[in-house]
Amino acid sequence: MFRSKRGSSVPSRIPAASARTSPIRIFTLKLTFLALFLVIGLRLVQIQVIEASLYQGIARKQYEAKVALPATRGNIYDSKGKILVSNSMYVSFGVDPAIVGRDAPAIARRFSRVFGKSSSEYLKKISATNKRFVWLKRRVKPDYAKKINAIEFEGLIQLNEPQRIYHYDHIAAHVIGFTDVDNNGLTGTELQFDENLRGTDGYVIMQRDGLGRKRPSVDYPRVEPINGNSIVLTIDLEYQAIAEEELRRGIEQNKAESGLVIMMDPTTGEILAMANYPPVNLDNVSGTDPSLMRNRIITDMFEPGSMFKIVTASAALEHDLVTPEQNFFAENGKYIVKLGHGKSRTINDIHEYGTITFQDAMELSSNIVMAKVSDLIGVESLYLTARNFGFGTETGLELPGEVSGELKKPNQWSGTTLNSIAYGYEVGVTPLQITLAYAAVANKGVLMRPHILKQVLNENNEIIVETRSQVIRQVISTTTAQTLTSFLVGVVERGTGVSAKVKGVSVAGKTGTSRKFVGGKYERGSYTASFAGFFPAEDPKVMCVVMLDNPRVGGYTGGVASAPIFRAIIEKVIATCARFTKKSNAAIAGKQPMAIPDVRTLRTDVAIDVLRSQGFRVKTLGDGKFIAGQSPAPPMKLSSDGLVKLTTTAADETMAGGYTVVPDVRGMTIRRAMNRLAMRQLDVEVAGSGIVVDQKPRVGQRVKIGACVSVRCQPKDLSALMVH
Amino acid sequence: MIGTQRNHIDLPILVCVLILMVMSMGVVYSASSTWALEKFGESERLLTSHATKVVAGFLAIFIFMNIDYKRYRKRTKLILILAVLLLVTTLVLDSRWLRHGGFGFQPSEFAKYALVFHLCVLMSDKKEHIADFKTGFLPMMIWIVAVTSLVLLQPDFSSGAIIFVVSFLMLFIGRASFAHIGFTVGALVPVLIAYLASAEYRYRRIMDFGQRISNFVAGGGDLGAKGNYQLWQGIIGFGNGGIFGLGPGHSRQRDFFLPESYGDFVFSVVGEEYGLIGTLCILLLFVTVTLRGFRVAKHARDDFGAYLAIGITTCITLCALINAGVTVGILPTTGLPMPFVSYGGSSMLFSSIAIGVLLNISSQTDMHPRLTKAPGGTQPVELTQLPAAGNVF
Repeated sequence: MFRSKRGSSVPSRIPAASARTSPIRIFTLKLTFLALFLVIGLRLVQIQVIEASLYQGIARKQYEAKVALPATRGNIYDSKGKILVSNSMYVSFGVDPAIVGRDAPAIARRFSRVFGKSSSEYLKKISATNKRFVWLKRRVKPDYAKKINAIEFEGLIQLNEPQRIYHYDHIAAHVIGFTDVDNNGLTGTELQFDENLRGTDGYVIMQRDGLGRKRPSVDYPRVEPINGNSIVLTIDLEYQAIAEEELRRGIEQNKAESGLVIMMDPTTGEILAMANYPPVNLDNVSGTDPSLMRNRIITDMFEPGSMFKIVTASAALEHDLVTPEQNFFAENGKYIVKLGHGKSRTINDIHEYGTITFQDAMELSSNIVMAKVSDLIGVESLYLTARNFGFGTETGLELPGEVSGELKKPNQWSGTTLNSIAYGYEVGVTPLQITLAYAAVANKGVLMRPHILKQVLNENNEIIVETRSQVIRQVISTTTAQTLTSFLVGVVERGTGVSAKVKGVSVAGKTGTSRKFVGGKYERGSYTASFAGFFPAEDPKVMCVVMLDNPRVGGYTGGVASAPIFRAIIEKVIATCARFTKKSNAAIAGKQPMAIPDVRTLRTDVAIDVLRSQGFRVKTLGDGKFIAGQSPAPPMKLSSDGLVKLTTTAADETMAGGYTVVPDVRGMTIRRAMNRLAMRQLDVEVAGSGIVVDQKPRVGQRVKIGACVSVRCQPKDLSALMVH
Repeated sequence: MIGTQRNHIDLPILVCVLILMVMSMGVVYSASSTWALEKFGESERLLTSHATKVVAGFLAIFIFMNIDYKRYRKRTKLILILAVLLLVTTLVLDSRWLRHGGFGFQPSEFAKYALVFHLCVLMSDKKEHIADFKTGFLPMMIWIVAVTSLVLLQPDFSSGAIIFVVSFLMLFIGRASFAHIGFTVGALVPVLIAYLASAEYRYRRIMDFGQRISNFVAGGGDLGAKGNYQLWQGIIGFGNGGIFGLGPGHSRQRDFFLPESYGDFVFSVVGEEYGLIGTLCILLLFVTVTLRGFRVAKHARDDFGAYLAIGITTCITLCALINAGVTVGILPTTGLPMPFVSYGGSSMLFSSIAIGVLLNISSQTDMHPRLTKAPGGTQPVELTQLPAAGNVF
């Protein structure tokens, strides 16, 4: 090819050709260059004019980082202002080994200096992995953030981890509920009042560079977070603790599968305690069976058995169908009811009775008499009475998961329903509903709306919502209520509930024993044992229901299994709770010395409230916002009207290099002890594991804030588990 | 040497280049300040380094402006051999850079100009014989292939490609036969493709570019290619500047969003700080240099001067075009600096030398006659008016 080409390209012809083509070639090149410049120019116009706003938006987004300023979740208090749940902030550190690179030794040295482990250990963590994230230190006090100063190192990541502190471990766990890792309420109060508790996160716009490092921008406003509101429950920590402890103690004796206790103020509808057994540990819910997390007082229904006779009696008395003295033949324990079509059914009493009065029938809990009385009442009237007591509808208590129970409409009633309902079968009720029914009797026939929310406090602890007691309806007349109360006193004095008798105080109550309906039939040997009662009978202050699932040792009836637990609770309440020690039952509680609550480092007003609510007189020295000292102080005891002197201190003094008082952390789990110490801004040094058995410095000693408290721990043994 | 300037130099070229160089000081300072502060603890570190290079560039321009370009004629072969040796040295040393103490330079930049100079000598020597394959085309091809291959083996695809393209543009201008050019390019394309495919990143860049173009053709596709982080950030920088820019020193992309913002992507920082006005100004400065360069070629005293003017102009223009084209996302990503603007010593130094030579060529034309007062008279008289003797154009 080149041969031929060369053959044709005679040198002499070239100059002429080149003279002609050359300017064209140059012109072509010049034109190409200019065209390319033009294309680039047009492209620049496209980017910088036409699409500019698009890129400006992208740019702004990548320069600015909206950093959330998380709102602090609200606290949960008991009705006396004791903190059940609050928060602590922890920081955790991790690294991205891929980014750390040359900084690795420096990071390891820094961690070694701050946390005291050898730097090679950290270096190994950083380098001996191909992961993109490795934890170096989890959940340490926020002070460490400054010491580590993560911003100095590329690839070192600091995470703030807020965490709920449960100040009383499992106490009221079912009521409080728990949150997920992101602090969203999942159950109980945490879920119900999540909107209130969570608050509103604030934010600050940070300027960011290409490495993702941030610095606050002066051009943008900082939106402060609005911290969550606090919830004050009607739950009384003392009642709750007593209920839980006595429930546990009782169940350990009668080996029931599970149990629950509910206490309320019958005059106001305030729930004072809600205890479920088995307990759950809120600090470690991940391994807990979700079904155990249910607050069965509102989520489960059962057939109430004899406890429901209060409804039958109410209907009969209210409509003057019977008198207390009216005689009924109890059929000697076996009552055959003809149903027509040659069918019949048998109603049994546990004990055989002949002719007894209506009042006897209530006190001795005769199913047969109640069935006969229901025939006098009739379907409509019994249904309406049950309905008026609140059965078959949700009570509206402010906790999630409530069920309405099951009360069939009269047109669904079969031939047996009227008689069955009379003694508490063919009807499903929640423990709360039964509690409310008895509370209505206690409250002169007036049914109150139950509530567990006492107050909502904003972040400045100002009350923004307060629940007022609310009457639902007068279910029965005062006279009927009084008659029924006298029946219930009789139950405890001489009937099935004698085990609930408490010396020095009149208790009204009713036992209930119902076969459990399992898999479509009533199971033999499987019972729900209950006791519902209130005291003092003449001026009811506390309504309490105890229910046990399948007690297996020492008797399965409500009178045998549940009534003693009820009594134990009442006795303890009367012995320790201020309102009874002071008033009606001075005979029992008297002026015996009481444990003084530890109010040191509480806010002054809260401290005064706490002490006064327990009957103590208070004298404050100074007008500071916080309590620096108290005299006498725990573990001293003081008679209930004794004087407690409080020394106050200004807030900032406490904060800035002030002193604090070493709290008693003995008997606590390590975690709770650390939380407790952290609340007082104390460092902690732990030896051993399990339960704190010894601490240094000793309880009550004044130490500088930030001082180190060393605690010695021993593994939890069984007895440690039982007592708290 | 001094005194070889018969007439005035072409001032527009000098002024444009000086403006670019002065402007680069501000842009490079701003673009590098965050990085320098992070790296060295002082934001001026790269500015001082760049300023030294700019001053060296000034000096180079003024020195080479005063050296008669015809003096290179006999020496280009020697210089090119030296360049080839340097390239071989870098191959042996396995680095694109030659360093001695604090001073380092890229031999490929030197080799580019050495090759262009020598091609100009060959073309002006061979004249019409250039169309002859054996005596005209082949000797030049041997040099081109040798230098290009050595640069590609560095491996430095961008520089290799630009040397290859510049060389062929020179052959094109030197009236090489289209058949020869076409055949050679046809023969070399498979080799180039094989080379491209030999390294994954190069292959990916080309495929990425192909994808971008097909997206664009398919309609509305984003030419900015988010897939290429540096390019995407560069385009964000242009867009963020808008028409008027954020103002000198106000670049945000330099804060570690745009990698090496002071280097190959400095044009984006110009766009961000000075807006469309700034970028168009830069383009206009280069357009002026290009047009004046061609004009110098047209008026050059001899063929060698004409070829040399074209060669120098092409080198600088092409480099500017490719750099700008890459940063605005219409060319595949390559690592070529923007002459006189980007931070970088080799480019600055050799471009300045080239401009100095170009200016010397211009001073020997009759474009800007040296005017002097006639003794005793007031009328300026053209002292030297030379015929454009022997110019092929």
